[in-house]
Amino acid sequence: MHLRYFIGIILGLQIVLGCKDPKAISNLDQGCENSEQITYAKGFCLAKQNDYTLLKILNPSTGQIKQQIALVPEGVANPEGFSFDDVIKVPIKSIVTTSTTHIPPLELLDRATALSGFPNLDYISSSLTRARIDAGLVQELGQNEALNIEVLVSLKPDVLMTFSIDETQKGLEKVKQAGIPLIYNGDWTEQHPMGKAEWIKVFGALFGIEAKADSIFQSIEKEYLDLKSRAKQSSGQPTVISGALYKDIWYAPKGDSWAAKFIEDANGLYLWKDTAGTGSLQWNIEEILQYTQKAQLWIGPGQFTSYDQMARSSPTYTQFKPFRDKKVYTFSSTKGPTGGLLYYELASMRPDWVLSDLIHILHPGLLAQDYEPKFFTPLAP
Amino acid sequence: MSRKEIKGLFFWPILLLALSVVLNLSLGSVYIPTEYIFTAFFSDTYINETWHYILMDYRLPKTITAILVGGGLSVSGLLMQTLFRNPLAGPFVLGISSGASLGVAFLVLGSGVLGGLGATLLSGPWAMVIASATGSFLVLLAVISAASKIKDAMALLIIGLMFGSLTGAIVSVLSYFSRAEALQQFVFWSFGGLGHLTWTGVIILLVSVIIGLVVTIASLKSMNALLLGPQYAQSLGISLRKSTFLMVLATSILAGSITAFAGPIAFIGLAVPHLVRQIIGSSDHKIMVPSSFLWGSIIMLLCDTVAQIPFSSMTLPINAITSILGAPVVIWILLRRKNLLF
Repeated sequence: MHLRYFIGIILGLQIVLGCKDPKAISNLDQGCENSEQITYAKGFCLAKQNDYTLLKILNPSTGQIKQQIALVPEGVANPEGFSFDDVIKVPIKSIVTTSTTHIPPLELLDRATALSGFPNLDYISSSLTRARIDAGLVQELGQNEALNIEVLVSLKPDVLMTFSIDETQKGLEKVKQAGIPLIYNGDWTEQHPMGKAEWIKVFGALFGIEAKADSIFQSIEKEYLDLKSRAKQSSGQPTVISGALYKDIWYAPKGDSWAAKFIEDANGLYLWKDTAGTGSLQWNIEEILQYTQKAQLWIGPGQFTSYDQMARSSPTYTQFKPFRDKKVYTFSSTKGPTGGLLYYELASMRPDWVLSDLIHILHPGLLAQDYEPKFFTPLAP
Repeated sequence: MSRKEIKGLFFWPILLLALSVVLNLSLGSVYIPTEYIFTAFFSDTYINETWHYILMDYRLPKTITAILVGGGLSVSGLLMQTLFRNPLAGPFVLGISSGASLGVAFLVLGSGVLGGLGATLLSGPWAMVIASATGSFLVLLAVISAASKIKDAMALLIIGLMFGSLTGAIVSVLSYFSRAEALQQFVFWSFGGLGHLTWTGVIILLVSVIIGLVVTIASLKSMNALLLGPQYAQSLGISLRKSTFLMVLATSILAGSITAFAGPIAFIGLAVPHLVRQIIGSSDHKIMVPSSFLWGSIIMLLCDTVAQIPFSSMTLPINAITSILGAPVVIWILLRRKNLLF
């Protein structure tokens, strides 16, 4: 058996089948140089052409273009001579999305009625969309990883927005073949708190209401920056830890991540702010115990909602200083009527709310006395 | 066995297969009237574009995939049971599904450990298929090269199991360091699935299964001889090394291509040959091979119909259904017959 030949054949096959055919993009700019101002988001850009808008979806870490979609206004002829991944007539009238983070932008833009299907409806908490679900106006599509193709095709949405950022997900090829345009929404990969919210501009472009989307984004941005500068004025910088144990390994967000950035902007000192990277770090329990003696606050202890629950899950938790001081805060207690976590739905669109919650915890008294937290509540006893 | 008996053995399964195909095409999340299904196939009238797409581009490829997957896995299970003279053998004893899961794990879960090496080498809609096929091919290469050196089939069985443990361990390490989304994607791959194949995929699978079946037919004679033991087979002038190689090759082509396209489908390959032996009461492979293919297809079609939970938007993972429905049937048949025909 000539092993070398077999390996050669496999590598050859990979190269032939794995590489996409080069696209004719010579006339379009490679990156996002000529596009409209996108301040924080790294996963998309919008470039105004003569009579249409070019939406580019990028890989947020490499900047590589994943999708080029022409958004052509109704009544305008499709641009010729380019090979787009898709051409979508705007404004679109119906949309199927797959992530709860796509619901708030739709509602803020007054386009909640365009949502015609969603996988796992129970995850949606917003009362407006829940009312539409109860009225039977939004179809259940099963699981995100295995969308019900039959129902999806029969809904015939103008766009399917999916949160996966690659094509390997089962069944997406079928959706494309059925003529349903696909947009990869990478909001969850954005690492700046405002970056996720900026994806509202994509929705704005799809519905032909760019100006409205811009003004909503700007007001959220202004609110966020105001809060950030107010937090700066406070005296003292409490030390914050985050994360939880799984078996005997501690998982917490790394220093460059979304969660860490929020703590920094709320003028807190995240204990692991110097760890590079955006994923989650893993520490051995022994190291964690010696670290946490310095911490004053513990924000986001996994799925736990009460001290009792934590202590029963692992007695080690009782050794942590914030636990003994009863200074643990979680977003897992604020749930919608069908059990979806509000934080997962709203936090990416409303970074200003997350920041004000954190400032309220980190610097009590800086905000109004009767401040009602949106997401983060103290753990129950 | 007389000609008439043989005809009887194939008449009912073929009729049942035809009925299962109609049932599988008629039932799904979206209600499509059965009369429309016949019109769609036998006339040019075009009633409803959405129905037409669902029927022709979703249900029909799924039905064909179910036939190929169920039939192909049953035949490869039969091959392995005969080769190893072991009723517990199945299409995946040689480590095909372990190799496939290793390939997919590197692609889906590898980014955490290898810094996206798998994802940069491979992207696009075929990435999963290529990763899976490469994984099972590399494991099989190792097993086949072992098979050409080792005479004892049992040693081959153990080597296959060892590869399974080895790849399983690497997959656990990869899972350990993975994001929840990536893990979920991997878990969904491991559930198996029939409905996501495009027509191109179905045709590639069809060609692979036909090649696998041709190799199987080429080894029919040695399979029958092997039933009487390796020494006896040798005394009949059959080269053990050559027949082992052919049977391993046929299984790899069948199970390897099926796993690449549909994921690791459990149970069918192990159980259907047992069912068929009980039904036809003969071990002649000239009857066993086509019967296994037929019954495997029928069972897969029925399982897929149930997994779709007709008229609801829910679907169940096909792997769960094959075992939930299949295991009790096999147990029932064995209890009724009180002895295992092998």
